[in-house]
Amino acid sequence: MRRKYRQAMTTITATTTAPPRVRKLVGAGRRQWIGLLYVAPAVALVMVFFVIPLGMTAWMSLHNWPLMGEHAFIGLDNYWAILRDTRFWNALKFTGYYTVIVTIAIFAIAFPLAIFIEKPRPFTNLYRTFFFMPAVVGFASASLLWSWLLNVDSGLFSPAAYDLGLIDKKFNLLATFQPAFWSIIAMVVWKVAGFTMIILMTGLQSIPQDLQEAAVIDGAGPFARFRAITLPLMRRTLALALILSVAGSILAFDQFYIILRGGPRNQTLTAVYWIFNQSFVSFKLGYGAALSMVLLVILVALSLIQLWLLRKPEGLD
Amino acid sequence: MRNLIAKLALATAVLGSGLGVAAADTANIWVRADGSNFMPRIVDAYNKAHKDQIKLDIIPNAEIIPKYGAAAAGGTAPDALSLDLIYTPSFAAAGQLEDITDWAKSLPYFASLSPAHVKTGTYKDHIYGLPFSADASVLIWNKKLFKQAGLDPEKGPTNWAEIAADAEKVNALGGNIKGFYFSGNCGGCNIFTFMPLIWASGGDILSEDGSKATLDSPQLRGAIDLYRSMVKKDLVPAGAQTDTGANFFAAFAAGNIGISPSGAFAIGALNTQYPNVDYGVTFLPGKDGGWSSFAGGDNFVVTKGTKKLAVVKEFLDFAYSLEGQTILAKYGSLPVRGDIAKDALRELDPRYQIAAEAMAKGKTPYSVVFNDLINSANGPWTQMVNEVFFGDDVDGAIANAQETMQSIIDQAPQK
Repeated sequence: MRRKYRQAMTTITATTTAPPRVRKLVGAGRRQWIGLLYVAPAVALVMVFFVIPLGMTAWMSLHNWPLMGEHAFIGLDNYWAILRDTRFWNALKFTGYYTVIVTIAIFAIAFPLAIFIEKPRPFTNLYRTFFFMPAVVGFASASLLWSWLLNVDSGLFSPAAYDLGLIDKKFNLLATFQPAFWSIIAMVVWKVAGFTMIILMTGLQSIPQDLQEAAVIDGAGPFARFRAITLPLMRRTLALALILSVAGSILAFDQFYIILRGGPRNQTLTAVYWIFNQSFVSFKLGYGAALSMVLLVILVALSLIQLWLLRKPEGLD
Repeated sequence: MRNLIAKLALATAVLGSGLGVAAADTANIWVRADGSNFMPRIVDAYNKAHKDQIKLDIIPNAEIIPKYGAAAAGGTAPDALSLDLIYTPSFAAAGQLEDITDWAKSLPYFASLSPAHVKTGTYKDHIYGLPFSADASVLIWNKKLFKQAGLDPEKGPTNWAEIAADAEKVNALGGNIKGFYFSGNCGGCNIFTFMPLIWASGGDILSEDGSKATLDSPQLRGAIDLYRSMVKKDLVPAGAQTDTGANFFAAFAAGNIGISPSGAFAIGALNTQYPNVDYGVTFLPGKDGGWSSFAGGDNFVVTKGTKKLAVVKEFLDFAYSLEGQTILAKYGSLPVRGDIAKDALRELDPRYQIAAEAMAKGKTPYSVVFNDLINSANGPWTQMVNEVFFGDDVDGAIANAQETMQSIIDQAPQK
């Protein structure tokens, strides 16, 4: 039975992903130039806002570059200093821990939501809008909103629980590590799950309906269908959502800066927070640039690993 | 003929005004948002009375340092800057500021300028910054709550035991009323309001020249015990533990706090925005009496190589005049000239006199890495105050902060 699905899937994917035929025509060279012209603005944007700043960051990382005063070339000294910077490695460890937890939490909420809103049913559009709405709020605004909600004296959660008699004494959620950390997770899931849900929903909708119907006729239960049809055909979508979530989490800053300021007692310092701190609190721009380069390498490596793990299995193309 | 005369008159006027504009010079100065009340007023007054003009930019507090650094690197720095005084040594050490020693010393009132400002404005025996705006730290108490608690509403606490006892009595009123408030996760707030308790008792956290951290003093330990005991007795609202300074003033202003250390800025803010809060102002006391204050505010610094030095000096001279000092005092800064402070404050709330007296003896720790040590939300001072007030391991937290602070000082590029 499983082989039958595979064959059917192979046929479908083959038709949808067949490479376009390239036709060599007279004047193709000219058309290429026109094509290049069309993408030129995008290329210029990438150059100005990504490639050149990246090059400058790499150049700065080789200098002792204070916020004010003269800068001096010091070769790889900043990078050697990073090796001994225990606070950076601790921050990186915390960032990794946060990334794993928050990514699992986002998928655990977003996938069921995507399945729930995928098919048209009464009020589907309303649900979609409702779940997606937090995604349009900026991270900084959302963090400010939550820092008010979480405030022990003047916010919502703790005073409400106290007034309803659920707790004897107001409990400061942000004062100790575990409650503070999970408060941030809750805020991020609230903010991001809707966006992930939409991506997963488009993936679900692209799965051909007749495959599912064939499986139902063959007597496959919902779990078997999910495992043999939904998951394999969702690989690309999952890869996209996963990379977006992991990259976003590795670069987490706003919520930790605005709500917790790295507290309680520096236990929630993320890697980007430490880079910000070194660059704009300690005014060591060169060192901050070197830390950024290290983080960039880690991020690229992680993304490549994810792409490799979620590549299409043999025989599906 | 009349037409010709009119044309000639017009031509003369245009030429005249053109020459006038060409002769006047405009200097650009920046101020952090904290000065957004008094700075535009004093610039307006100056511009109205002088040919040379000042163009003012108000920059958000958190952005002014990085923005100035970027502007200086790009050659677009303002001619002068009203700068949080604690940064003056590090700016001077970076070679960013104009040496104004000779001019400063030639001012007839130089000896009357706020000593703490002048000290932080001096680097390696040269003067790079002069006092501009000032804020002293004081203790404020809610008279209505004192009365309700059976305390004398006209008498604020004068030593640590009285602070604790008064706070406890107010706290006993119950409901939303709490005895004491401080921002427990804010380094800047606590150097401003907690440190004077230690100074007034004879202790310090840094050596005079900023080269040694001295956190292992019994005075610091004693002041910590005072705060800890109040936290333990539940005299402090739960939110204090995570307050990064956002609630520093607002908590008292809401009218539910008995006693709170604060700044002279609170007097103006309470009078104008919270006229229903009846409050008293006194000094921040030592363990057994005496008092001390942090000297905060801004130094006026001049960007190295500016071509508008003459305008900048003229403006600063105006700010130091009785007219200038009165404008500053009226709109939220204490006077920085001791010899005319009383006159400048004459028509204002008499409680300012206490703040001005505190200011005259105010202290500011001297360090080229003040931001790293004290103000940073993740620095050793902020981390320590949060741990020692609310955590379990007081000795460990102090030892850890002592070690971290000393290593930051030792690694500083210039001392």
